[in-house]
Amino acid sequence: MESDEGDEQQQEAERLPLSQRPEWSDVTPIPQDDGPNPVVPIAYKPEFSETMSYFRAVYYSNERSSRSFQLTKEAICLNPGNYTVWHFRRQIIETLHADLQDELAFVGRIAKSNSKNYQLWHHRRWVAEKLGTGAVNKELQFTKKMLSLDAKNYHAWSHRQWVLQALGGWEDELDYCQMLLGEDIFNNSAWNQRYFVVTRSPLLGGLIAMRDSEVNFTIEAILGNPENESPWRYLRGLYKDDTESWINDPRMSSVCLKVLSTKSNYVFALSTLLDLICHGFWPSEEFREAINALNTPDSGPLDSDLGRAICRVLECVDPLRCNYWLWRKSKLPLTVSSQ
Amino acid sequence: MEPATENEWDRLSSSSSDGEEQAASDGSSSQFNRQQHVAFLMMMYESLPHHYQYQEINRITLAHFAISGLCLLGALDRVDKDAVSDWVLSLKAHPSNKADLTNGEFYGFHGSPSSQLHPDDNGVLMHNGSNLASTYCALAILKAVGYNFANIDSKSILTSMRNLQQHDGSFMPIHFGAEKDLRFVYCAAAICFLLEDWSGMDRERAKAYILNCQSYDGGFGLTPGSESHGGGTYCAVASLRLMGFIEDNVLSKNMSSSIIDLPLLLSWCLQRQAADGGFQGRANKPSDTCYAFWIGSVLRMLGGYNLIDKEALRGFLLTCQSQYGGFGKCPGDLPDLYHSFYGYTAFSLLEEPGLNPLCAELGMTEFSALGI
Repeated sequence: MESDEGDEQQQEAERLPLSQRPEWSDVTPIPQDDGPNPVVPIAYKPEFSETMSYFRAVYYSNERSSRSFQLTKEAICLNPGNYTVWHFRRQIIETLHADLQDELAFVGRIAKSNSKNYQLWHHRRWVAEKLGTGAVNKELQFTKKMLSLDAKNYHAWSHRQWVLQALGGWEDELDYCQMLLGEDIFNNSAWNQRYFVVTRSPLLGGLIAMRDSEVNFTIEAILGNPENESPWRYLRGLYKDDTESWINDPRMSSVCLKVLSTKSNYVFALSTLLDLICHGFWPSEEFREAINALNTPDSGPLDSDLGRAICRVLECVDPLRCNYWLWRKSKLPLTVSSQ
Repeated sequence: MEPATENEWDRLSSSSSDGEEQAASDGSSSQFNRQQHVAFLMMMYESLPHHYQYQEINRITLAHFAISGLCLLGALDRVDKDAVSDWVLSLKAHPSNKADLTNGEFYGFHGSPSSQLHPDDNGVLMHNGSNLASTYCALAILKAVGYNFANIDSKSILTSMRNLQQHDGSFMPIHFGAEKDLRFVYCAAAICFLLEDWSGMDRERAKAYILNCQSYDGGFGLTPGSESHGGGTYCAVASLRLMGFIEDNVLSKNMSSSIIDLPLLLSWCLQRQAADGGFQGRANKPSDTCYAFWIGSVLRMLGGYNLIDKEALRGFLLTCQSQYGGFGKCPGDLPDLYHSFYGYTAFSLLEEPGLNPLCAELGMTEFSALGI
């Protein structure tokens, strides 16, 4: 895959106005018709206006030639958000039977400076779809490269998920997630991808089959950084639509207890414990002791109802969400006190 | 968004100062600087600097930010409303005959005259670039300037809009193909709501697609399986609200009957408020002005806006307020139209004096609250 964009940049620096190019002398550019009272008029730069005016001319006359093809490249480099240009380029590709591998290379060259451009990614998908399963490795490589520049690029992740589902290539995906999480355990996109693989890969056994090993992996991640929201959400997600199994898995509450015992970074441990209790988990005495031992200021004597006690601690230690914890407290069922 | 240069913003600041609230030299201030924001929007309305050329295909979206923004700030009197509605209406794609409405194309609004080529000699529109997002923006602007919706050719919009809905319930934005995701489901729902006619879409199918987008952590991704995201979550919840699938103030009612996992969604939304007081779009990402709207609106729609820390949010947003007027993405950033508009909507949610109330579901002024 091409990594340098020197080709496109050099062309920009050497650009000859279209009006001075002999091969375009027969074309009358179509200027933009802004109407009598344009709203939010844009102060276009001359080369931009000129390129788009020539584009409009060939688009209007539906000229699917190689000079039009070249012009779409120039127009894309100047105005990559213009979806009509990309659309016309695709029409030309079909008419001229242009080489699709070359097209992937072109997209690859301009991807770095257009990494969050919806049209670029859609175009890439269109080409890859035409190439079919043969494009799998290239697409996985391409998205991997883009993610190495920005490991959370939403477009890259969407494209990668589409590739896996449409073209395959699941073999190394769990390992890839593992690697990304090794680089940054806080990368929520990588956690999401892990969930995607675990639940959808035709090569793995499905969520329930994978659950045990995933729980263990996630707990390790939590204990390493209990302040990291991602693994807590992931852990809960492993028990999606199966609350009964969730509250009955002793590892759920024990990870909360472990974190509470460290007396630091325990906000998610507390909120998770609260959720477990709200869904029917019966905490043993050691939970009360662990919360007592936190010695949070202003919490006063510990409420006899552990759920209420947790809410009061959270009001203190997670003050940004104080109103929420008050609300959660108000929603707790009025049950008998400590279990 | 393409970053502006310091030179361009110097030009703006020298012509927009009116002697009122003196901003601190770092751009932040302890107050929402309404006068400065109005000046900023008027400057954009009159002429956009050249770095906006990269968004020129979506000029109507930029117009929406400027005009709907002025509306929120109660400053629409400075705008020539007839000129605006004429310009917007000039962007409408017209079918040459009734049969066209089922030919697979969409007859909504274009984003810009630049992609709008005239019909050929036979009066056939060969190059129809009208799309859902531009149509939503067009209607938002027309609403803001008080245009009589009875004069809009709703039938062509709604009938042809069905051509854009996919089998799985999602929407393409444009007939010749593009990415399909929740943003366009939202645009479709908002269009139907504004035109008061749901014949433009299959609501049940759309709902099914939306539900497939709820992630394991409670938020919604833009497509099924993708990471939960503030924008995706807004589109999901707003669409369900507009379509009538989520009742008012659902948090104070029986949550277990909801079609989405509400407690998890609520927890996810509230966790998006970061230590700096701002809202992030995804877990473990930096705060950004616009999520004060995307996430804040979700909370408002569910009846949980009071659960956030409003003072902390306000503090964060003020660090994103520019001395030139407008808002940037992050503290200290130069302002852009997109973050400015969503900054204003965020301040409206915070009930900042001098701003009109917001309809969270539609992302515009709540006109019914103004007796319009």
